[in-house]
Amino acid sequence: MREITLSQAVNEAIAEEMRRDASVFIIGEDVAEAGTPFKVLSGLVEEFGTDRVIDTPIAEPGFMGIAVGAAMTGSRPIVDLMFGDFIFLIMDQLCNQAAKTHYMSGGKLNVPLVLRTNLGATRRSAAQHSQSLHALVAHIPGLKVAMPSSALEAKGLMKTAIRDNNPVVIFEDKLMYQDKAEVPEGEFLIPFGVANVKRQGTDITLIGTSSMVQVCEKAAEILAAEGISAEVIDPRTIVPLDEETLLASARKTSRVIVVDEGHQSYGITGEIASRINEKAFYYLDAPVLRMGAMDVPIPFSPALEDITVPTPETVAANARKLCSGEMIHAA
Amino acid sequence: MPHDIIMPALGMAQDTGVLVRWIKQPGEAVAEGDALFEVETDKATMEVEAQSAGYLTQVTAQAGDNVPVGQVIAQISESASDTAAPTSMQPASASETPPEGHEIIMPALGMAQDTGLLVSWQKAPGDAVAADDVLFEVETDKSTVEVAAGFDGFVAALLAEAGDNVPVGEVVAVISAEKPTAASRSARSKPPSAAKAPAAPAPEPVASKPSPAPAITQKAKPATMSGRILASPKLRRLAAAQGLDLDILRRAGVPEPYHAKDLTQLIQLSSRATTSAATIAAARRITAQVPSEGFSAFAAWAHESAGISDSVALLAGLLAGSLRQDDSDIIVAVENYGATTHYHNPDRPRLGQAKALAADGTPSIILRDMRISHISSVTMGAEEAPVITILPADTGLGLILECSAAQLSASGALDCLQKFAARLAEPLNHIL
Repeated sequence: MREITLSQAVNEAIAEEMRRDASVFIIGEDVAEAGTPFKVLSGLVEEFGTDRVIDTPIAEPGFMGIAVGAAMTGSRPIVDLMFGDFIFLIMDQLCNQAAKTHYMSGGKLNVPLVLRTNLGATRRSAAQHSQSLHALVAHIPGLKVAMPSSALEAKGLMKTAIRDNNPVVIFEDKLMYQDKAEVPEGEFLIPFGVANVKRQGTDITLIGTSSMVQVCEKAAEILAAEGISAEVIDPRTIVPLDEETLLASARKTSRVIVVDEGHQSYGITGEIASRINEKAFYYLDAPVLRMGAMDVPIPFSPALEDITVPTPETVAANARKLCSGEMIHAA
Repeated sequence: MPHDIIMPALGMAQDTGVLVRWIKQPGEAVAEGDALFEVETDKATMEVEAQSAGYLTQVTAQAGDNVPVGQVIAQISESASDTAAPTSMQPASASETPPEGHEIIMPALGMAQDTGLLVSWQKAPGDAVAADDVLFEVETDKSTVEVAAGFDGFVAALLAEAGDNVPVGEVVAVISAEKPTAASRSARSKPPSAAKAPAAPAPEPVASKPSPAPAITQKAKPATMSGRILASPKLRRLAAAQGLDLDILRRAGVPEPYHAKDLTQLIQLSSRATTSAATIAAARRITAQVPSEGFSAFAAWAHESAGISDSVALLAGLLAGSLRQDDSDIIVAVENYGATTHYHNPDRPRLGQAKALAADGTPSIILRDMRISHISSVTMGAEEAPVITILPADTGLGLILECSAAQLSASGALDCLQKFAARLAEPLNHIL
């Protein structure tokens, strides 16, 4: 199968859906001729024109509000939020309006909106452009949250998101846009709420999201060399969450580490760990560990930034501890 | 003020200890924690540490002495020439008349300890107890120690209460063989006067717990070791499904926390515990008296007239002859203060000619030679083979045979001990 970059996969998914459905349009800053700072949307304005690829002023609450209204009235907007960190600017439009409209209108209105944005540190973008804020929106009922871990998921999840009749937030890792993977051409959708077991194992389950799936896979390689068999699972969407796959794996291996790039405290690692604890407790042979970004603003200093987020080495080190039966006093 | 050094109680059923050697010499300066002397018990040889600094004086016991537990054997004084007489050994005064049974005393857990804080009772009056069951917990300045009952039976009386600071050697409980009709719990009377020896045990010290050294039973005191056992939910589920008690792992000293991988060991330990409990339950114990023994004279005669210098081989031969029913091989293991010698068919072809062998394989019978000791009675329980203990008596010798029901039939046990007693009284019975 051909390999394309994650950036190309997103572009292809959106182009295919825009050809298929005339109600789909793009709105955001630098989305047209610039094709976004990461060049994800390059070429789309040439094919679909400025009516369907709409550049806006630097005014996130404004274009997000426009998109929510357009979605309520029959369009399928794809909102491009240049950095995930800017989500604070559009929280009302997203969480109070988009997330609740279907419920509060008694089902009369839908908001079939896709918010495309990104997450991820270690790009030397400093504290205001390096956050992973998906936990903020995953907390709000009415929003679906997808976290593609490769070009394959980027295409399949994007197409599913665009066809969903409810608001979906997709977080792409800004460091993975040039990562290549085999991606099917044409119609290819990945259903929400279906986790992907990336690697089978028996001793420990590593649950990773987004780029942390790669981190977990590399950790599993390190562990395999030491005789520890790690299973790696990518939930692919955290809302809805494929609990059954995660629980089945936890019951099988009896040890779990949840790895995510959001801050560790009050993040989705805590949520997933908690569900496993509640529903697979009697199968656990060790406490479920969370591994997230340190609870500090992401540093600009490369030396500091690199140790702020989980790495294959730190994941493997924790896995070793759990498998050895060492007393765990997790921080 | 000089500190008395006593012979520590290193085992539950130990009432004397063999002083193997002094590590410090009289008059020598000692620091707290220095090893003073070595004691040998039936289980191990241990170094006993000084609990205070000073000079070793008033040494009254010599290497090789078998010293009653609690007896003062030296002092640590402030000067090398201190001549103050050591405190004589005083029996503890149990001021109440407890029910009949084995008396359990507050053990001496440290050389300089004269009271122990009774933390909690693990058994209630009337409860059935096995020798290995934890009866109570004692706290010292160093650690909290679980004290095992030491005897099978029933809790006839608890004479102290949790929270009491009990003088070492004072009786805190009584374990009776029969289920008591009215088990009592009564507060002990006021502790005896402070003049008593720091760690003097009861006249017949039936239960004493390890003195300073034995790290095996003396647990360090992290929070993890008291209260709830630290085990993973998975192991708890697996253990519960098989009806296994995680406490067995803790009692075996397996470090916590426990995980699913510890299940194998738990299963092994559990089956062992069950086996030993069953063995103890079906134990036989027979005693015999040999009012006038003829063996010593016989051994002396054999040495002079027949050149048989190994009197232990003679003894083993007499025992093998007492046990023998047919031509099958008999291995007699003779234990003599920690040293074990094996004899292969020592009654054949000629008495006294068997060669001593290194310990090898399971013996047919064990002979515990305690003729040179102050021990008057033992109840050790069954071991891997029937055990006959020879003890000194007022005149002659005392014999105690202990075995499990599976090892010897009732008539077989009686027959063996009867024949052996007869041979010790008159060795010529061997050839009759």
